[in-house]
Amino acid sequence: MNTSHSTEQSFSPRGPIIVFSALIVLTIATVMLSGLDVGNTGALLIAMSVASVKAALVLYFFMHLNHEPLIFKLFVALAFVTLATLFILTFSDYAFRGIA
Amino acid sequence: MSDQAVTAEAFHHHDEEGTRLGFWLFLFTELLLFGAFFIVYGVYRSAHLNDFKIAAESLNTGIGTTNTIILLASSLTMVLSLNAMKAGRIMLAKSMLLITIALGTTFLVIKGFEWNAKFAHDLYLQTSGAIAAGKGSPLLTPGPAMLPDGQVLFYGLYFIMTGTHALHIIIGAVWMGIVYFWISKGSINPDNAGVLERCGLYWHLVDVIWIFLFPLYYLVA
Repeated sequence: MNTSHSTEQSFSPRGPIIVFSALIVLTIATVMLSGLDVGNTGALLIAMSVASVKAALVLYFFMHLNHEPLIFKLFVALAFVTLATLFILTFSDYAFRGIA
Repeated sequence: MSDQAVTAEAFHHHDEEGTRLGFWLFLFTELLLFGAFFIVYGVYRSAHLNDFKIAAESLNTGIGTTNTIILLASSLTMVLSLNAMKAGRIMLAKSMLLITIALGTTFLVIKGFEWNAKFAHDLYLQTSGAIAAGKGSPLLTPGPAMLPDGQVLFYGLYFIMTGTHALHIIIGAVWMGIVYFWISKGSINPDNAGVLERCGLYWHLVDVIWIFLFPLYYLVA
């Protein structure tokens, strides 16, 4: 019985190398942007935005979310929404405690 | 095809998609673990902004950037290893996996030198000088420099967060070593590459966490 269901695909490093190049460019960009004098909130905002784009690239391409069914993407999105909710609730509380 | 053969096949059937979803659930718990660290960092940073900035300036941005690039490169070789495996090119998959382990180890060695430089300046995981003096406990040694509380918190969080991250790198590297052994034995092969895939997912998540640690410690000073 030969049930060879191997989905033989050819080895193509092109896609991952493009994503990797984008990640390196973003890393260099964020280091250079950190030299800008945009104040604390501005610097934090820029750094976290670039980091989020980088993380999204890794999640979507390297972790193959692009090949996963919709339910996977929704699960991962839900996990990040949960995390964001925890952040927003905590920080909106601390912002009014007068310690900052 | 006899009934027995069908039963046997059903028994050996692995639900790859279900396994992968389960693994993602585990990754979510990792996200929550580090998420809690990030919240603590955020709260104390806003409470001790100046101390955090002074302390962060002692960290070497060049080293941080180098380590970021090393980790990103290791993520690339990890993806290439899985792609090669799925394409049936086992030797290539194994070499890419070895390079990934080497890059992960390089990251750890650099991190080790970085930590050592901090230890040489008597900066380590310590408690606030004021608290230690009050408690009089030999376990709570105050730093010789009697750092302000904000800087003590910064270095404490720095060692705890990069340390927990480094622990994940060690676990990932050991796991890759085991996967390499299984590929050599043939139990991981182009038709059964799920373990390599999940090892890769773990490695990429560790990379994602570093992507956020890097700017918070090395850049926003």
